[in-house]
Amino acid sequence: MRGPSTFLKVMGLVGFIFLYAPIISLVVYSFNESKLVTVWGGFSTKWYVELFRDPQILEAAWVSLKIAFISATLAIIIGTVASFVLIRFKKFRSKALLSMMITAPLVMPEVIIGLSLLLLFVAMENLIGWPSGRGMLTIIIAHATFGSAYAAVVIQSRLVDMDLSIEEAALDLGAKPLRVFFDITLPIIAPALMSGWLLSFTLSLDDLVIASFVSGPGASTLPMVIFSKVRLGVSPDVNALATIIIGIVSLGIIVAALQMNRGKKNG
Amino acid sequence: MSHENATPDTQPWNDPKAVPFLQVKNVTKKFGTFTAVSDVSLDVYKGEIFCLLGGSGCGKSTLLRMLSGFEDVTSGQIIIDGQDQAGVAPYARQTNMMFQSYALFPHMTVEKNIAYGLKRDGLPRDEVAVRVSEMISLVQLDKFANRKPHQLSGGQQQRVALARSLVKKPKLLMLDEPLGALDKKLREETQFELMEIQENLGVTFVVVTHDQEEAMTLSSRIGVMTDGQIVQTGTPHEIYEYPANRFVADFIGSVNIFEGRIVEDEVDYVVVQSRETNTDIFVAHGVSGTVGQKVAIAVRPEKMTISKDPLPDMRNVIKGTIAEVAYMGNRSVYQVQLESGKRVRVAHPNRTRRGAHTLTWEDEVYVGWAGQAGVVVSQ
Repeated sequence: MRGPSTFLKVMGLVGFIFLYAPIISLVVYSFNESKLVTVWGGFSTKWYVELFRDPQILEAAWVSLKIAFISATLAIIIGTVASFVLIRFKKFRSKALLSMMITAPLVMPEVIIGLSLLLLFVAMENLIGWPSGRGMLTIIIAHATFGSAYAAVVIQSRLVDMDLSIEEAALDLGAKPLRVFFDITLPIIAPALMSGWLLSFTLSLDDLVIASFVSGPGASTLPMVIFSKVRLGVSPDVNALATIIIGIVSLGIIVAALQMNRGKKNG
Repeated sequence: MSHENATPDTQPWNDPKAVPFLQVKNVTKKFGTFTAVSDVSLDVYKGEIFCLLGGSGCGKSTLLRMLSGFEDVTSGQIIIDGQDQAGVAPYARQTNMMFQSYALFPHMTVEKNIAYGLKRDGLPRDEVAVRVSEMISLVQLDKFANRKPHQLSGGQQQRVALARSLVKKPKLLMLDEPLGALDKKLREETQFELMEIQENLGVTFVVVTHDQEEAMTLSSRIGVMTDGQIVQTGTPHEIYEYPANRFVADFIGSVNIFEGRIVEDEVDYVVVQSRETNTDIFVAHGVSGTVGQKVAIAVRPEKMTISKDPLPDMRNVIKGTIAEVAYMGNRSVYQVQLESGKRVRVAHPNRTRRGAHTLTWEDEVYVGWAGQAGVVVSQ
């Protein structure tokens, strides 16, 4: 087989530069001595030190992680239940409607989701007094809502592929339905649950628009803090923060890829 | 049936005093307006290998799923070992099933797959271990006990599935196309293995299959199904030699069918006039019909003789020309074009090495068969 042509090589290189040049420049400038973002003033790690002295950013990062963790977990539970209803139940009248509604947050503009959730929370507070005020709880609920849409899509595709007779075999061997779910179904769909969880987690960490709508005083997520900082001018410690996040994400991807490779070798 | 020598020991279905182990009474299953199984009644006795044989969509798998409790019956009754199974959940039934797809638990090792059912029964751990290892050596998988299903070949997976369904010592074992995914050679071996296991353990088997050869070798009796109904129940011999109707004759093995009208109807023979042959056909058994009635006569290819010389010994002889020759090694199958335009298949054993070459395309031949060879079947 002949290798790729020169044209393809060049185009590939251009594509890579297009994707990664911004990220590389960000990483490079996070080690910049100078306070000016555009001027190189020599190598330094002082912005990293600065970063860990900034209580606002650390606080926001901790809030974001908590929100992402809890909302992703909720999203997986809701997504699993919804997927089972959609895949396993026999045809019922509003099945198509439910299926559409579950996936709606995927295509709905974030601004509209954020606004509608805000209106809902305000109305609920007036009517039943819960949730009282806006803060972490409302962000968690909001993120779980759209996270479950993504989770449902991932889990549904796994459930569709699953051979029903595997569950029937377990029933046949004397396991009661709940037991079958935990012994057989859950382990089989576990990879989908894992990727659905990671997806929801990432989306929650990443979200700025919805969180801005439904958050209240005292609950600022990391994207919100970064965004407000950048509005006052890009400070190099944000670069340092971004570099740390990129590092963590890359590490996660590498570990996941290694795991998958090992899985393939076994298979 | 009258042509079998009834021995109650080996043929409990001929013993009026024998109590069937599995009774299916007028069972019907409807999915919406579609009737998958229609008024099926069936008795299976202890220690039998009973095959439900039929094409795809004939309702055989639905019937099996009702026996194991995965589908409810729309009407009718299923009794296993004297107990009515209505409302009994699959996990509470004393039956086990081997699935067509094997349905092995992909995340468990061979050992754990087999142990799963025993653990659900709450057996002590050491007893589970003993029974699992017994089962593993029975199906000769000792080397593979710690492998996962995807690390096994199709034949090995099939044996795991069998072991898993047998380890609980079910009263009734159901097998859905058990040998479907195996190649021919492995199938034959496994068939005999299955029969041996069945004899050793004394389990009653109900097997669903579309493969007539599999049904013939395995079963004590066969129930031929089509369109949700059982059209004939009998031993492989009865089904093959005395098909109840044209469908059964056609479905099991290959057969030549001649259509015609009865012209002579006596107690011990009938003569049928057929447009497809230029002579009348003599059948050496009586039928409950009348002169003038339309009937079909089924003659198996291997019961016919083919020769270049006239066949004076044969009761029925027709002239024709050889249109096709298929050499199969142990025998050759000739398609002979009769003067009426009908083609008949004649199987001729190749007893000598040169035998196959004595008859060839375009040869004028005589096809003959004895009076006992043909059987009158209803349309």
